[in-house]
Amino acid sequence: MSSIEHSTFKKPSAVHSMACAIAMSQEESGLKAVEVTKLADTLEVLWAKSSRENDTNWRLFAAECGLSVGLAVLGTPYGEQQKTDGDKTTVIGFSSTGVAFYHIGLPAAKESEIKAMVGMQAETLLPLPVEQMELAWRAGRVRNGQVAVTVAAAKKENLQRFVENVRGLNPARIILDCEGAVAAWKELFYGDAKDAVVVNLTARSTQVCLAENGRLSNAIVLDMGLKDFENKDEPKHAEATERFIFDVKSALEAFGYAEAVNLPIYVLSDGSSTLKGIVACLKSAGLNVKAALPQIQKVRAQTDFGAEQLYEYRVPIGLALMALETRADGFALFDSLYRPAGTKEKKAILHSPKIAGVIAAIMLAAFIIVSYVIVVKLPGAIEERLQTTDSSTDIDLLMQRQNLMRLVAMERPNLLELIKQISESGDRSIKLESFHFKKGRLVSITGQVENPDQLYKFQEALMSKSGVKDVKILNPSRDSKTKKLKFTMTFRYKNFTNKGTRT
Amino acid sequence: MQKLSERDIRALKIGAVGAVAIIVFVIGSKWIDHWAAARSSLEQVKAKLELIDIDKAKQAGLLSIVPVIEMPQKAETQTLLFRNKLNEQLKKAGINNEPLQVIAGSKTTRAGYKLVRLKCSAKCRFTQLLDLLAGLNENPYLVGIEELRMRCDPQKPQEVEMDLTVSTFVK
Repeated sequence: MSSIEHSTFKKPSAVHSMACAIAMSQEESGLKAVEVTKLADTLEVLWAKSSRENDTNWRLFAAECGLSVGLAVLGTPYGEQQKTDGDKTTVIGFSSTGVAFYHIGLPAAKESEIKAMVGMQAETLLPLPVEQMELAWRAGRVRNGQVAVTVAAAKKENLQRFVENVRGLNPARIILDCEGAVAAWKELFYGDAKDAVVVNLTARSTQVCLAENGRLSNAIVLDMGLKDFENKDEPKHAEATERFIFDVKSALEAFGYAEAVNLPIYVLSDGSSTLKGIVACLKSAGLNVKAALPQIQKVRAQTDFGAEQLYEYRVPIGLALMALETRADGFALFDSLYRPAGTKEKKAILHSPKIAGVIAAIMLAAFIIVSYVIVVKLPGAIEERLQTTDSSTDIDLLMQRQNLMRLVAMERPNLLELIKQISESGDRSIKLESFHFKKGRLVSITGQVENPDQLYKFQEALMSKSGVKDVKILNPSRDSKTKKLKFTMTFRYKNFTNKGTRT
Repeated sequence: MQKLSERDIRALKIGAVGAVAIIVFVIGSKWIDHWAAARSSLEQVKAKLELIDIDKAKQAGLLSIVPVIEMPQKAETQTLLFRNKLNEQLKKAGINNEPLQVIAGSKTTRAGYKLVRLKCSAKCRFTQLLDLLAGLNENPYLVGIEELRMRCDPQKPQEVEMDLTVSTFVK
């Protein structure tokens, strides 16, 4: 029942102080895991382990590997789990089968601007609405002001489901397994070419990965694997070979390298006859194909760990190598969906409740101080200022004085102006005898004129003066001695003659 | 000394938060009262400022009518001051007047002030009367002219008999 291949050995004491990485990946046959550490150019494999055939229970397998992962599931806090695992970094490989890669050319710009442009471009490329997809992108070379951007996209639902499966292991990162294959090729399979296609065959599928500058740039997963080439039936074998060549060429075309016959293609190989046959058939199709054999001399292990094991565990080893790298430049497809326990999400400063609370407290204090100054101190300050400006100034006194001035202005008739208006209204022939003004009564004037016309003119002229109203002539009579016309004239003057103006 | 359990620590924390809340409530409620009083005070000062901070043109107009003013004092003092100033103005105008008569003030008040009148009778030239009227506004105790009666003889038009009643405010 058990197909566990298990190489365990005691770790050298020096390893305790070094960073170790545990990587786990899934293949058709089940799960695989390794723990590695790196000493200069030498990779040390501490152990490697495979799950039972077709067993894809991540937690169970992790427990079988002797990891403390899964304790969280049993109610142990993640912090405890991290203490138990010490300085080990756990990474998980995600199958690239459901991941699509797109290449887009964008104007060279800042990272934030590229991010926005990628979002807009992706909408037109993706088969599903952008809300249902998860995107990760990586900027490549800049040529003629254009930057080549590789976008990896996967259905969000699939990624979420995967995260739920592996969350209990509390991995530091989840990485695409084809990135692990490329990393393994680069480090342990003579991957010295700058740009190349790496072909990684498993039992039932094949990853065709484009590596540019030693990093994954594009990948296509073919639904053909080693099993298809193990068919003894010759026609079926030939058919499979033809189909495989066609698929690889199609992949190259999709990568934009259809005409580039010199682009090296590396088939990761353990030297088996099947893989040799595959390399030969691709060569026969005119492709620049090489078998990439494991560099076992780069690997150190205390137990029996040969080229065969290195080939078998190439993907988890590649993932572990990526985990040991300080520079994390893989496609971060899971960044928004998964965050290891114990790590804090990077938040904008205002998203932090503590910072926001402190800012709110400062704002509140500032508000209280300002309000206090305005509301409590300002009235006193105004009065004080008025008093210091002029020692005799008192705001109440000023107010009383202003009120008094207004009151007095309403009580003060300008009789000089009125007399002037009366004088201007009549000509020299009019002799005025008396003038009487009293508040609350009509103004009256008496005098004598030569004839009525002069009187009427006088009346009309007076009526035209401002403030003078209701000019009336009372009791005009001819003086028997002087033969002149005596008159009394009354009129209203502004508001001063209204009844009730003075009691 | 026995270590405090999680429960004890939680109880202490809740107690501390409660105590702080009570203190904040007590101080806050007093502070809110004080705040309300302060706001009321501010409104009063603003109202006062609005009263004295009037339009310049309006203030100029007001000053042309009332160039000087003194705050009213008690009746006795105010009447004395007013009478002396008026007497001075009459002399300045060259009017030889009869003794000034104080007429009893009205019972009603205006803005809290009572009115006291002074009556002046005199014979003078018309120009002297005009001089007096032109200078009356310079009397800081004057409220206004209550009555002016003048008569002239047609044969001597430059000479007038006048009865002038002017008023002042008293407290």
